[in-house]
Amino acid sequence: MTRLYLSNDTSARAAGADRLAKAWAHTPGLELIRTSSRGAFFLEPLVERDMPGGRVAWSNVTPDDLPRILAGSGGAPVSQIPFLSRQTRVTFANFGVTQPLSLDEYSACGGTKGLERARQLSPGAMIEELKVSRLRGRGGAAFPVWNKWQIARETASDRKYVVANADEGDAGTYCDRMIMEGEPFRLIEGMLICARAIGADTGYIYCRKEYPAAAGTLRAAIERAERAGLLGSGPPGSHGTGFHLEVLVGAGSYVVGEETALLESLEGRRGVVQARPPYPAVSGLYGRPTIVSNVLTFAIVPSILARGGEWYASMGTERSRGTVVLQIGGRVKQPGLVEIPFGATLEEVLERFGGGMAPGARFKAVQVGGPLGSLFPASRLGIRICYDAFAEAGAILGHGGIVVYDDETDMVELARHFMAFTADESCGKCTPCRIGSVRGREILERIQVGRGRPGDLDLLADLGETMKTASLCAFGGRAPYPVLTAIEHFGEEFRRLMK
Amino acid sequence: MVEEGLSALAAILERCRLNHTTQSRPPNILQSLLAIQKALGSVPLHAVGEIAHALEVTEADVAGVLSYYPELRTRPPGRHLIRICIGESCVANHCDRVLAALRDALNIDVGETTMDGRFTVQRIYCVGNCAVGPSLMVDDDVHGRVAPQKVGELLNEYE
Repeated sequence: MTRLYLSNDTSARAAGADRLAKAWAHTPGLELIRTSSRGAFFLEPLVERDMPGGRVAWSNVTPDDLPRILAGSGGAPVSQIPFLSRQTRVTFANFGVTQPLSLDEYSACGGTKGLERARQLSPGAMIEELKVSRLRGRGGAAFPVWNKWQIARETASDRKYVVANADEGDAGTYCDRMIMEGEPFRLIEGMLICARAIGADTGYIYCRKEYPAAAGTLRAAIERAERAGLLGSGPPGSHGTGFHLEVLVGAGSYVVGEETALLESLEGRRGVVQARPPYPAVSGLYGRPTIVSNVLTFAIVPSILARGGEWYASMGTERSRGTVVLQIGGRVKQPGLVEIPFGATLEEVLERFGGGMAPGARFKAVQVGGPLGSLFPASRLGIRICYDAFAEAGAILGHGGIVVYDDETDMVELARHFMAFTADESCGKCTPCRIGSVRGREILERIQVGRGRPGDLDLLADLGETMKTASLCAFGGRAPYPVLTAIEHFGEEFRRLMK
Repeated sequence: MVEEGLSALAAILERCRLNHTTQSRPPNILQSLLAIQKALGSVPLHAVGEIAHALEVTEADVAGVLSYYPELRTRPPGRHLIRICIGESCVANHCDRVLAALRDALNIDVGETTMDGRFTVQRIYCVGNCAVGPSLMVDDDVHGRVAPQKVGELLNEYE
């Protein structure tokens, strides 16, 4: 019996993994194991096999490649794939190796060790460990995680909640989806540790509707964790049943990724942003102290508990500790997931991991941090990937999405696209965002058809300033940045249409 | 058909009501509407009154949630829902060319349903398949590296 490994990740399947599984289903002597993905998506579908020196991989496989894989010809040792060997995998260390729903494999590869350690510590000691690690939230706001937990722990309440924000809406990002589909027990473990630290008995994972496979995998994982006694199986709050965890699926809406809007949506209302304070850690879901964190943030926590805060803080830069999870997409040769310590330059990441541009494509700009992120031209790629350098440049790291645009990209159309997105997705609560985004889109639309008026670019800049300073949340506050950086670096394309 | 739909609606509303009374919480309008849409294919506008009554909220509460979320529909879509991703990574990979091919193949625009009721086309901001874009989501299937010239062939998989 020959055992082959093939990813079951949505993007691996979208690249053809299911086609292989279907074609090879009845091959005698072949056992096909569906794993998570290594995140080297440019190589998917990737088929691996155990060999004396470790796993060997065949990339971009078609159904006809089976004979040579079975014969062991061709293929490259996984340890020698530069895209992977150059990374420092912590949260994604087991990706591509294990089966997502095998709790045994998760434990065998170091999983549940963080929880075991947490059980030996007092809540205060757990929070201290996070303080030492200097972990900051990975959803975009980069707030110190320990601080949030401390506030929720110190706020007296009959009930507390832990909520995973799995509404990964930033275009160009997919690491949360990979975690939910590939190592769901890691998210569950992180949430369990948080629940112990703050004294919560109920948790929710708010998963976006666009991720049906992630929601399905999570539900199956929760069921297994319940059977294994990690999670309580009774109704929430019933005595002695432990932590109750549930998956709720959303219904679209980008702004629901903002924490107060997410809690509104979780309670079943319109996903409209609420003014803060009070912050959710004091008064969140149903008015109770609630930790809302991004999936990746929870997924990092088990490693910190298992290996210690000092170890985590030893990686990265002064104020950005640990590893950063980047997701490279767009017109590069090697799109995929990259986990490295904070501090490399954008240029190094694009060269060493992105592998340069896709065949025939020429670089024009790169956008970091999702649809609200700034655009960088070739002359600005020396920026270091850490919170401080990005804040100084007026940019954001967001959720780590990196999208590369080629020279066939029309910057005026791209700017219009950004403003149309903001107008579509604005929750409508505050005027600068609700009205500003529509006016911004209208101005760009008239520039696009050659009817731009003198002073329109100044008007856009002025509108952008108003949105930046007067919007209620980061959505309206950040929305002007991609448009304004497009005008800043590619202004000639706008002015050409206005002559 | 109409009666079947209505009794199905009543059954779902009863479950939603039970759900929130046992948990002594206000009713979850969004999850109730998602359950109704799953069973009926859409949340018909004429049912808003009945839903509000069953959940003990106002009609404005229900209509407000219904109009807020892009995934909630007041009319059933075609047999297959095609969602073309227009997230930034797909934009960078020139998804406009895929959209043009889709319009040519089906003769409809975004938001419309084919005459035979087979397909409805919608836009979506990111399906999280950015590394193998441009992406098309047909029902729950995600297709990657979609070449404009292969769109017709891809749609043949869906009856």
